[in-house]
Amino acid sequence: MGSIEGVLTGFQVAFSMEGILFVLIGVFVGTFIGMLPGLGPISAIAVMIPITFGMDPTLALVMMAGVYYGAIFGGSTSSILLNAPGVSGTVATAFDGYPMAQQGKAGKALAIAAISSFVGGTVSVILLMLLAPALSSVAIAFGPPAYFALMFMGLTAITSLSEGSTVKALISAVIGFMVATIGIDAQTGTQRFTFGNANLLEGIDFLVIALGLFALAEVCTLIINRKDLSIDNAHKLGSLRITKNELKEMRGPMTRQSFLGFLLGVLPGAGATIASFIGYITEKKISKKPEEFGKGSVKGLAAPETANNAATSGAFVPLLSLGIPGSGTTAVMLGAFLVLGVQPGPLLMTDHPEIFWGIIASMYIGNVFLLVLNLPLIPYISKILKIPRPLLISLVIMFSVIGVYAINFNTFDLYLLLLFGVIGFLMRIFRFPAPPFILAFILGGMMEQAFRQSLTISNGSLAIFIQEPIALSLLIVGFLSFMFPLVRLLRNRKKERV
Amino acid sequence: MLKSINQKISIVLIVVAVGYLLLAFQLPSFPYSPVDADVLPKGLGVLLILLAIGLYFSKDTETEAEKEQRRIPKKDIAALLVVFVFVFLYIFCLEWLGFVLSTAIFIFFCSLYLGYKKHMTNALVAILFPLFMYVTFTELLKISLPQGILPF
Repeated sequence: MGSIEGVLTGFQVAFSMEGILFVLIGVFVGTFIGMLPGLGPISAIAVMIPITFGMDPTLALVMMAGVYYGAIFGGSTSSILLNAPGVSGTVATAFDGYPMAQQGKAGKALAIAAISSFVGGTVSVILLMLLAPALSSVAIAFGPPAYFALMFMGLTAITSLSEGSTVKALISAVIGFMVATIGIDAQTGTQRFTFGNANLLEGIDFLVIALGLFALAEVCTLIINRKDLSIDNAHKLGSLRITKNELKEMRGPMTRQSFLGFLLGVLPGAGATIASFIGYITEKKISKKPEEFGKGSVKGLAAPETANNAATSGAFVPLLSLGIPGSGTTAVMLGAFLVLGVQPGPLLMTDHPEIFWGIIASMYIGNVFLLVLNLPLIPYISKILKIPRPLLISLVIMFSVIGVYAINFNTFDLYLLLLFGVIGFLMRIFRFPAPPFILAFILGGMMEQAFRQSLTISNGSLAIFIQEPIALSLLIVGFLSFMFPLVRLLRNRKKERV
Repeated sequence: MLKSINQKISIVLIVVAVGYLLLAFQLPSFPYSPVDADVLPKGLGVLLILLAIGLYFSKDTETEAEKEQRRIPKKDIAALLVVFVFVFLYIFCLEWLGFVLSTAIFIFFCSLYLGYKKHMTNALVAILFPLFMYVTFTELLKISLPQGILPF
């Protein structure tokens, strides 16, 4: 099937009645969950996965994509109103969004956020449409060594770019990898670390890990902070209107950050959080009035909001065309694909054009819905922030329990969920980042397979990774990314000396 | 001897890694594969030990703010443990009492314990939410949740 036909099929799916309905459900739920402080896209996607069991895969994935970018969109609301970002990708939004709200211009801030998110989202979907098929056709020639190298690069990128200590991020990734080795080995049939328990033969389901490390760990944090932060701290909304001058001010950051954010989203390891920070910093640097930043600057709000939404669509490029997630969130998204029996990768575009193009085409509609949802309805939707903490905690636990129970219909997985909740909470307290864990866990099986297939081809010689130019260059990039934190460390030391 | 928290964590990690390695060395071998099932686990075990040693000697000390974040009041630890026990009992009773009943009891008492004072709202949420989820899953999505002792 030609690519134009494929695009048309995609739009047909997206603009069908069901297509529109499921995009709407997806972005609505995503906005809701993303708005809740602490619960980000990972929890949102994980909670929604059980609902897709038995659904048509195309519609299910269209909905899940909506949940993902909806959650990023929703996160900005709590950043602006409460100074409590719902999602790490919207932390930078609070820098100028919250001061604006304090000045009684919360409505205006929400409107600026909604419009820049819309622009960032829409421009990057166009870029996604151009880049994803091109990358797919290149990636089709990749053999196991190149795939192994790609995943290796993704893992090193996320560990070196994650917050705090790189050693801790690496430890987190290694343990995630270790957990992935539990179960029957796909190549030899050997049982590994199952302790003879039949429930562990298939390995641990990724939903157990995702909901434990993210949703339940967040519940623990919520329990500790259950008395802080309520909607009473939130400011009055005020008018949503934006003046012509403000629109003019937004134009620059929106154009630049749409492209920059998209690019950062495509690169492994970066994603919405880093894109929003870099977007904020670059706009501050090139601004004629940098002193306004942090005090309610229009540009300072438009930049991170454009960048994080652009990065979200950018992250779909490696996911759809290579089948390799570059971040914790897209790793969970990959899990959602696999649960539905869809293997993303270079063959997806030719084998299932309705899924490949359907998801992309649905993003146009999703972004329009988000704009509509967020502009006139925001005062009503933001009422969700009024849910009392005790009820919220109980309900999040209930959703996690349903999600995990519906995978295998046994309580063994639920006890594991509880265990990973505790692990996730301890990781938070001791500052071990969780995204490398979930990415390594999901990539683990694929990486091991690619590694062993490569060595089977080469009869056990590691030289295969050096002989293949693509694999070699990716491995070099992977190793080089470790230099990044090292350089940062050295620079900091120099500063201390000065 | 173990001054910083990182050093304590690294000891725990080394214990985990050694345990994992001991298990990895017991994996049966399979003669017809260039890379056997035990290669990767062994590599990971060794890697974790190396990283833990790296963590032990790493110089990054905690800032005061980070330490403060780690300090959880005893009252909150107790709250965490109680909720933990609640969830444990909830899972334990899930298949026996059924989804609707056990979830309703869990939501009501968990919210009550955490300080929710509006008992009527609490009871309503505790009954309506599980019912709604149960009907959605079993009727709309055709995913059966445990029925338990209730007749429907």
